Amino acid sequence: MIKEYFRIAFRNMKVRSLRSWLTILGIVIGIFLITSLMSLSEGLKNSVMAELQMMGGNLIMVMPGDMNDMFTNFIGGMQLENRDIRAIEKVRGVDLVLEMPLEAEIVRYNNESKTSLIYGISYDSGIQLLKEDMGWETVDGRFPYSGRREVMVGNLVPKDIFPGIEVGDEISVKGKKFVVSGVLRSLGNRQDDSTIALDINDFRDITGQREGTPMAVVRIVDGYEVGFVEEGIRYALEETRVRERGEDAPSFSVVSSDAVADMVGNIMGILQAVVIAFASIAIVVGGIGITNTMYTSVRERTKEIGILKAVGAKKKHITSIFLVESGVIGFIGGVGGVVLGILLAKSIEMFFQIHPVFFIEAHVSFSLMFFALGFSFLVGCISGFFPSRSAAKMEPVDALRYE
Amino acid sequence: MNQLLKLEDVWKIYHLGKVKVEVLCGVSLEVNKGEFTAVLGPSGSGKSTLLNVMSCLDIPTSGKVSFEGEDVSNMSEDELASIRGKKIGFVFQQFNLLSHLTALQNVILPTLFQGFTEKEGEKKATEFLNSVGLESRINHRPGELSGGERQRVAIARSLINNPDVIVADEPTGNVDSKTGIKIMEVLKDLNKQGKTVIIVTHDKDLVSYAHRVINIKDGKVQ
Ligand SMILES: Nc1ncnc2c1ncn2[C@@H]1O[C@H](COP(=O)(O)OP(=O)(O)OP(=O)(O)O)[C@@H](O)[C@H]1O
Ligand SMILES: [Mg+2]
Repeated sequence: MIKEYFRIAFRNMKVRSLRSWLTILGIVIGIFLITSLMSLSEGLKNSVMAELQMMGGNLIMVMPGDMNDMFTNFIGGMQLENRDIRAIEKVRGVDLVLEMPLEAEIVRYNNESKTSLIYGISYDSGIQLLKEDMGWETVDGRFPYSGRREVMVGNLVPKDIFPGIEVGDEISVKGKKFVVSGVLRSLGNRQDDSTIALDINDFRDITGQREGTPMAVVRIVDGYEVGFVEEGIRYALEETRVRERGEDAPSFSVVSSDAVADMVGNIMGILQAVVIAFASIAIVVGGIGITNTMYTSVRERTKEIGILKAVGAKKKHITSIFLVESGVIGFIGGVGGVVLGILLAKSIEMFFQIHPVFFIEAHVSFSLMFFALGFSFLVGCISGFFPSRSAAKMEPVDALRYE
Repeated sequence: MNQLLKLEDVWKIYHLGKVKVEVLCGVSLEVNKGEFTAVLGPSGSGKSTLLNVMSCLDIPTSGKVSFEGEDVSNMSEDELASIRGKKIGFVFQQFNLLSHLTALQNVILPTLFQGFTEKEGEKKATEFLNSVGLESRINHRPGELSGGERQRVAIARSLINNPDVIVADEPTGNVDSKTGIKIMEVLKDLNKQGKTVIIVTHDKDLVSYAHRVINIKDGKVQ
């Protein structure tokens, strides 16, 4: 019988096809919003998380300024000074502190000059941390040795910045020559993949900045608890600044990689909740559209209901006929919304692959699709509940009389 | 037990605001199995109302209706629907076919509510359509059929669940007299095959087909 209900539903929708399509459109919009936005935000979350997960749990990030204003601090150029770094090194449980100063400089390769981002890391101690704790790898060549005037370049440098550059080629930064020792595997975001790494000493020479880094990565000694070392670093930094400079309330952000992952997870969670909230409003409106259409349909088909009852249809049959129809409307709307949503998400992904300002991958999970389809069918059924009940309640004689 | 239907002091009263409309006023009658009964009376006399009560489509305001010995006057709507679906076939004056379905689909319809699939009903429906001479009209929609053809589709539909009784409310009311006679012949044949037939009419000429005539006026059996 269930197959028959679907057949009846499709026949009826065909009779009133324009109205059916408009009603379906109401659901399409909401499901479209859910699928496209959810798959994009899920993709964003995944790529950020993947990047964070490359880091081990034994790392702590230190940045000047309050965590909540991380972006403003970065733009405003707040930096950790040498004595901040020295203070961190003295904290119990700290194994290694890696500075990562960043600067835009003119880089020349094969007569072509371009301004690109360079950063300095200590080849002596830093490379090991990047390899072991942050999961960096080379896809070509090897990591540079210290004292040899070597650089390593991000994954996109040979593709976008200096097309064709290879391991062994020479580049010059502000007139000083370096040899490319290796190309890094993608770090998951466009900016990091477009930078060139120099040894910290060369970096300082070239840029003329003798100290300062917007961020430092701290590795802790095995066996120490992350929270304990975090506290120690925060205390040491505040102490240094208050004692040596007389600042009243210096603030630093000291966060473990796990904490950052948590934070990103939370932000994404909020983002997705907002998406769901807005899309739900669209779906409720679509659902009201279905209810409206179904009530109209019930009224128009009063005589038909009378006929069905005369030839033996019980209440449950009439209810099912209308419920299946509204469920099908919801479901078709869901299919349309999912298809359009995936199309949009994938084209946004493609757009950013062609115009790489930003790295985003649409993550279309089966559970999302399953949820969207199930949910739209459910909305259809709920929306059809009252109309179908009013249809089932009709007295056969009255319904047959209806003109 | 030869008795199919028994009405005892049946009343049907409608309340339109403060006005009380007494449509059936204490009707008592019996119909036996295999009979061809005609209900005759002027317009507005309550014929359709009476037929509806007799055919389990409606329940009386008061009084008792027994169908095959069972009291149906207080049955729930679904119980009545079950009896209608299994035992009673309906033919209406306005044909009451579903306009978006083909003749075949219309005839199959009552079988769906008995738990059959459309496929299962197809063979039987085709046979019944053949038996009323519509083999070439199977896939036509009602809008593409003449009045007489539509009524024959309706008759095929009334037969599909092999009911004991055929009730027809002015089955010839919307067709010309020649076609009307054909339809009456079909009903007469069905009666010969053992179906109980009850028709409602205000056309005295058709009464000749019936074994028995129930005259009704102002809601009372004469
Ligand atoms: N639902 C209703 N509410 C109020 N009055 C009704 C209702 N149904 C029927 N009536 C009244 O009952 C009376 C009898 O109606 P019914 O349809 O049984 O007559 P009829 O004999 O079949 O007439 P006709 O030959 O014109 O079909 C009419 O006066 C009608 O107005
Ligand atoms: Mg009538």
